Amino acid sequence: MLNGITIGQYFPGDSLLHRMDPRVKLVLTFVYIFAVFIPQNWVGLALAVCFLVFSVAVSRLPVKLVLKSVKPIIPLIIITSALNIFYVDEGVHLFDWGFIHITTQGLVTAAFIAIRILSLIAGSSLLTYTTSPTTLTDALERLMKPLKVFHLNVHELAMMMTIALRFIPTLVEETDKIMSAQKARGADMESGGLMQRVRALIPILIPLFVSSFRRAYELATAMECRCYRGGEGRTRMKQLHMNAMDGVCIAVMAVLVAGLFVLNFVLPAAL
Amino acid sequence: MPVIETKNITYTYSPGTPFQMDAMTDVSIAVEKGDFVGIIGHTGSGKSTLVQHLNGLLRPSSGQVLLNGKDIWAEPKKIRAVRFRVGLVFQYPEHQLFEETAYKDIAFGPKNMELPEEEIDARVRRAAEFVGLKPELLEKSPFELSGGEKRRVAIAGVMAMQPEVLILDEPTAGLDPKGRDMILEQIRAYQQENQTTVLLVSHSMEDIARVAKRVLVMNKGKVAMYDETPAVFSRAEELTAIGLAIPAVTKVFMLLRDKGCPVGENVYTVAQAAERLLPLLKKGGGTDA
Repeated sequence: MLNGITIGQYFPGDSLLHRMDPRVKLVLTFVYIFAVFIPQNWVGLALAVCFLVFSVAVSRLPVKLVLKSVKPIIPLIIITSALNIFYVDEGVHLFDWGFIHITTQGLVTAAFIAIRILSLIAGSSLLTYTTSPTTLTDALERLMKPLKVFHLNVHELAMMMTIALRFIPTLVEETDKIMSAQKARGADMESGGLMQRVRALIPILIPLFVSSFRRAYELATAMECRCYRGGEGRTRMKQLHMNAMDGVCIAVMAVLVAGLFVLNFVLPAAL
Repeated sequence: MPVIETKNITYTYSPGTPFQMDAMTDVSIAVEKGDFVGIIGHTGSGKSTLVQHLNGLLRPSSGQVLLNGKDIWAEPKKIRAVRFRVGLVFQYPEHQLFEETAYKDIAFGPKNMELPEEEIDARVRRAAEFVGLKPELLEKSPFELSGGEKRRVAIAGVMAMQPEVLILDEPTAGLDPKGRDMILEQIRAYQQENQTTVLLVSHSMEDIARVAKRVLVMNKGKVAMYDETPAVFSRAEELTAIGLAIPAVTKVFMLLRDKGCPVGENVYTVAQAAERLLPLLKKGGGTDA
């Protein structure tokens, strides 16, 4: 039942994307997220989408998986699209009813923004699918190192994040187990009204809370037993290295961004 | 007719991902009414997966689960009714406690069955008695109880539903020897008094030897053996080959036999061992082994 949760769910593989330096991958993902907002016309947007499709192909992830990552935000897309359809008041009026006007321009804008959000989510999920959570936090820790200037304890933040990520699957498993145990006692979570369903969560949430606290205490003790005392003077088992392939990836992304800007100048805006 | 039966059930975890794994392949077993079956196997041998199929928590990828001859998945919407008839106590069941008092926690199952108030009360008190919980503990918060008491509350929570088939997944894991003996004894007493069918998952051969009439040995997701307890333990070599230890007493007796001591076969509990040894001692040792 909880198998649908894919956040932080690493999909092991050996593709180019899997082997990329996580720092580069992280930065490039952010660049891509901004890049989807550059195009002002359909050709540019198509280019951004093509790049995404190409990346998915390179990652050798099952397409189904990538599509699944988009599923949870479909309601959001529907709402934004609806807002755009109803609020944009330019172009040919297709439908008028009181204060509601549906125009061609509204439909175009809605589609444009929907595609943008979809690429954005699919693009960022590509990062989490091809990078194990620990590698990802490693990369974050390295990238945020300069923030030390502002007396920010980057190591602690990264450790917190690593632990949080590490425990998501554990908690999912735990939740699954508790749900099964309560279902075995006849707990009914699939029927009834809203209030009834919320009440049906109590037998799951309370044991989950209790066990989370227990786990936290145990982990803290285990860390102390191994003399953990923060990041001062800590060396890493896995050093991060950039190689030629990462350079190529950076170059490709740079070309994409440049191309998107150029297309904005050359072609008329669609919005 | 067997009360519960599986027909060639296979279960695949996470199909279509790199984590895909067959947890169980082609398992067919039949359990007669009133039987006490011990299920034994290594970690990951598929025993927990199997028992979750018996009350419909997992749906087999292929094959059938029959309860009194009827496929439990014939009407998927009525699967909840199956769970009241096949009670499953999970591993470390004390982790599922959530109510304000132990009493309310035990009453959770019967309440879900929508039984009348007096019936619930009677069942809760009876179940508590079976697992040896003192009545004054019932009004305490389950989180204030000791580990062993919590476990009893959790087991009582399933017993209170008075299922036709009671399945316990490692009910003694992590308990001290005394707590383990008590829980096993109470389960046995419960089974005998109610003539309930009981399936007990364990990886302790000693536990199984003490209480089970039949033993199901699982290995790598398949049924390796399923027979009367003496018949299974007589295949000591095969069990050792799977990596399961036979009870220590049995091992000692096998060695004694090898040395020519007339102790006979099929000794797998300490009580039996005493029974066999005492006459020999009275005779003055019997052999010079």
